[in-house]
Amino acid sequence: MVAGGAVSEAAVWLRPAATAPTPELLPLDAGEQYRFTFAMDSCVGCHSCEVACAEQNGLPAGTAWRRVGEFEGGDHPHTRRFHLSMSCNHCLDPACLEGCPTNAYVKLDNGVVDHHADDCIGCQYCTWNCPYSVPVFQPDRRIVTKCDMCLPRLEEGLKPACVGACPTRALDVEPVSVAAWTADHSGADAPHLPPAELTLSTTRIALPGGELGETVAASDVHLHPEQPHWPLVMLTLLTQAALGVSLTAGTVAQRAAAAGIATVALAGSLLHLGRPIHAWKALRNLRRSWLSREAALLGAYAGLAVAAVGVPALAPATAAVGIAGVFASGRLYVVPGRPAWDTPLTIAAFFLTALALGPLLTGHPAVAAAALVAQAAVWLANLARLARDPRREARGTVTLHRHPFGGLTAGRWALVAAGAAVGFRWPAAGLALVTLGELVGRYLFYVTVVPLNMPGPHYRPGRRH
Amino acid sequence: MLGRLRTLLGVDHGGDRYGYVTDELIGPVAASRAPDRWVRTTCGYCSVGCGMLLGVRDGEATAVTGDPDHPVNRGRLCPKGLSEHHTLAAPGRLTHPTVDGRRASWGEALGRVADGYRRLVAAHGPEAFAVLSTGQLVTEEFYALGKLVRLGMGVRHYDGNTTLCMASAVSGYKLSFGSDGPPGAYDDFAEADVILLVGANIADNHPLLAPRVLDNPDAEVIVVDPRVTKTAMLATQHLAVRPRSDVTLLNGIIKLLLDEGLIDRDRVRRVAHGLDELVDHVEAFDLERVERECGVPAAEVRRAALSLGRARRALVAWTMGVNHSVQGTETVTLLNTLCVLTGNLGRPGAAPLSITGQCNAMGTREAGFTASMPGYRAYDDEAARAELAALWGVEPDRLPAERGRAYPDIVNGVIDGRIKGLWIIATNPVVSFPNRELLEDALGRLHLLVVQDGFETPTTALADVVLPAAIWGEKDGTFTNSERRVSRVRAAVAPPGEARSDFDIVLGLAERLGVRGELFPGWTGPADAFAEWRRVSAGRLCDYGGITYERIDAAGGVQWPCPAGDTTVPPAGTARLYGDWRFPTPDGKARLRCVEPKPISDRPRPPYPLLLNTGRTVEHWHTRTKTGRVEILDRLAPEGWVEVHPADAERHRIHSGDLVRLVSERGAVDRIRVRVTRTVREGEVFVPFHFDEQCANRLTLNEFDPISREPNYKQCAVRLERPEPGLSAGTIAARG
Repeated sequence: MVAGGAVSEAAVWLRPAATAPTPELLPLDAGEQYRFTFAMDSCVGCHSCEVACAEQNGLPAGTAWRRVGEFEGGDHPHTRRFHLSMSCNHCLDPACLEGCPTNAYVKLDNGVVDHHADDCIGCQYCTWNCPYSVPVFQPDRRIVTKCDMCLPRLEEGLKPACVGACPTRALDVEPVSVAAWTADHSGADAPHLPPAELTLSTTRIALPGGELGETVAASDVHLHPEQPHWPLVMLTLLTQAALGVSLTAGTVAQRAAAAGIATVALAGSLLHLGRPIHAWKALRNLRRSWLSREAALLGAYAGLAVAAVGVPALAPATAAVGIAGVFASGRLYVVPGRPAWDTPLTIAAFFLTALALGPLLTGHPAVAAAALVAQAAVWLANLARLARDPRREARGTVTLHRHPFGGLTAGRWALVAAGAAVGFRWPAAGLALVTLGELVGRYLFYVTVVPLNMPGPHYRPGRRH
Repeated sequence: MLGRLRTLLGVDHGGDRYGYVTDELIGPVAASRAPDRWVRTTCGYCSVGCGMLLGVRDGEATAVTGDPDHPVNRGRLCPKGLSEHHTLAAPGRLTHPTVDGRRASWGEALGRVADGYRRLVAAHGPEAFAVLSTGQLVTEEFYALGKLVRLGMGVRHYDGNTTLCMASAVSGYKLSFGSDGPPGAYDDFAEADVILLVGANIADNHPLLAPRVLDNPDAEVIVVDPRVTKTAMLATQHLAVRPRSDVTLLNGIIKLLLDEGLIDRDRVRRVAHGLDELVDHVEAFDLERVERECGVPAAEVRRAALSLGRARRALVAWTMGVNHSVQGTETVTLLNTLCVLTGNLGRPGAAPLSITGQCNAMGTREAGFTASMPGYRAYDDEAARAELAALWGVEPDRLPAERGRAYPDIVNGVIDGRIKGLWIIATNPVVSFPNRELLEDALGRLHLLVVQDGFETPTTALADVVLPAAIWGEKDGTFTNSERRVSRVRAAVAPPGEARSDFDIVLGLAERLGVRGELFPGWTGPADAFAEWRRVSAGRLCDYGGITYERIDAAGGVQWPCPAGDTTVPPAGTARLYGDWRFPTPDGKARLRCVEPKPISDRPRPPYPLLLNTGRTVEHWHTRTKTGRVEILDRLAPEGWVEVHPADAERHRIHSGDLVRLVSERGAVDRIRVRVTRTVREGEVFVPFHFDEQCANRLTLNEFDPISREPNYKQCAVRLERPEPGLSAGTIAARG
């Protein structure tokens, strides 16, 4: 009972069993799945859906499965501001599921893209793959979590909490024919959203009537560095250095160096995972996930490299597997959700790092110098590509290279240039300078990427800038 | 330690904390939020008065859900309501009394208040002590507090923060109709074929009224607001008037309706005084003048006016855009006049409806003994005084013969030294009162400052005595919403530490002052106050006589007037006032008043070229005492901002995301975030007032409505200063 005084019976609300929650959902026919619908005209931007979602799922502050963004057009007094409430789009071709190395994602019969916490190792690859930035890393659990359309509610015939909370009925859930939506999914497109084409988003967005004209998203003001992912900086840089050594090694010592570097790199990469003890699960999706392939190939490469120390005959195979591993490693970054990485130049840059670092260690400064010249060309080509790209995420990467990373960018190339030159005379010094330069370069690779996302609010949630 | 290691290694993922269970009311829900029972109550934020169910488990509030049976909201809630249970365990609660900054017992703290009050009054007379209350208490507490303050303590200067929000509506209703009391009901949104919203951004500030506008797609919705607010965007017609040109606009509309023959003058003469004077007065407000002064094309004004004039049922609703003005009261009378002229009163879908601010601002208006005596009894109404005195069994001369100082005049009294002791209850004037520096200076001069609140605030920080109070969710009583609907609020959990309900604090202080037996004989809880209040309000416009807690529960809220024993009144009370067009004036007729527009005193000029408008945002409530502590709300809107039109931004060479400084003649806000938006007019800027850190009230004007004494928060001149050299985040993003 209530402390501080008795409460009358009427105070305690108990729904009679006869009026227990009634099913609200239409049942699915064959070939249908559930999807969210959003009527932009009806949304007044109250954020009730976000709060209801957090409460329904007991989410900690900072973990948002549903968000409301804003964009506006026109001019006073004919200004129009639009809100877009979005959680998971439960895509027909979910990029999160495709890339997940552990097969933690399942596309259920009812269409829900469900994420199994037990299988998640917290690698966060899905957060790079989803063009809407839907999956989020939840720090207290050290795994990724996301909207499951309130699956426990769906299973009882109830609509999700966000739908129930929407005071203006802007949000809803309805069945959709998978075949028809695959053929025409333009209803999922809206201004400032990544194209539905990428993943076949199922959310049907009813846009307001009238010409929207040119609009500006409130979140366009945000241009902030992404996380550096230090364990990945080390993993990629060191495996590439090791491969470069393997490719040019002539001595036992050099092969031992390659083996050592590759092993350290792999061990260090475990630090990237939210749940390192379950790292082995990363091998579960070799069929589809470049991350699984990277893990398998780089693991095999490290093993071969160790064996090749004593068995020189294994060196060619080691190098071949290493090449495949670095290719997989580069290929996994080539995702539409991250325009700065979404290019073969990313893979080229990884191989050029291998050819810059390894040969400096094995005494081939000319090879290294040539690789570094090529590296500069690849870098410039990518920036030029991004500068021409009309998307703000692409141009944002170029901007971040100037502010706040202008100094580091210049420093990287100064180090690389100096190292390449010095390497001819003093190989150790050259190696140190180039390694440092490539370390800075790899750091910049991670922090200057600007992910695709849904339009957001004026404030980055929780940030007092 | 081991657990931390397990988490870091990823042995488990905390899934046990994130399971789901099925609640019999709401279905599957996170186990962490699942209550073992639901307590029926009413939201404690705004005056819409949404019914909600507060979920409790093991003595802690875990969840909130909209009451599906409540007539106001039918199960729906806004984000503040949906997270309201978090306020109960939020950090910063006051858990024990303090005296001079050190922990004290209740006995010591109340003793200090009683002694301090007695000493000040003995030395300086009854004028030396004042009380500032709130719209946040339950009606039972307001009633008890009023009796204690006016009768028990003999305090002459007693007012509430309601003067900062709806005093102009009160005064305007009194001038037009002879009494306070919003005549309309929320169902009018559904019944009206024209909805006129003046200075009312309900989509942000009364979120559960916005769906009612959307739910009536056939209605013509006319919004009058200088900004393109979320509400303006729902309108079929938005009149983006220049700030403070609403009086001109309304005069112009009235003239046009008269000229077009859309007003039945004979009918108006039967029900109201002043038509002829009004006809002469509005002659000067032709459409050309309206267009010139309001900045709205004449054709648009004409269209809106004709819609109103031809409407079968028009609802005229307003909030702070009207009230927060030196002309607030008179603007309210014009809106009332418009309804009288067009016959929009006392019928479904037809009313002048002031949408008030706080959850129980209405309760203090009716029972609180501030702007009027309990039951809307005027201080200068001898018969009403005699009646009230008889009900209480006291001599009529115990009752004050006049209101005493209103809120801003209490502050002035502190500044000029006449008021030396102040008791502040559940309000945070340091952030909410205009011209903050002046107020802080004033509070610093007091001999005794007592602050009674649920949370630490910038105001409690200045107090000599802090009295920790229970908050919504921890106490019982009733709230009355903007449509006069009385709903129950209930204690679901115990207050923290030694905190007590305001009711118990009032009775405790009465005990100390030796007046408990006389004023509150045999009282033990809010129900005793409610029983007496029902008798005291009987026969008045706000008649609670027939309202019982049981009837409220059965009907999901009861609208007054609800006389006892009147079988013609439906179970849920009286939906609308003045159905008979008889008003509580001496001759039963309404009063039409002539209002001359008054220019803005603090006009934009060098070196203050921009006009500042202030307001609110949906994520927060008042000075964020509660919402700033609810993490999800705080994260949604973590700091204040200034909205600037792109042309002004370009002129100042600033971008969205930049930090700037705003300066007025009175003060400055340092480091406030720019939001470039076309929702404001060029030359005007907007700042939400909620934030202590970017306090808009460092800039605002200490100018007040001469009748209601409500502050003019909405218009003052400011300057925007660019940030120091160097690139800010916003500039970088804009350059990209």
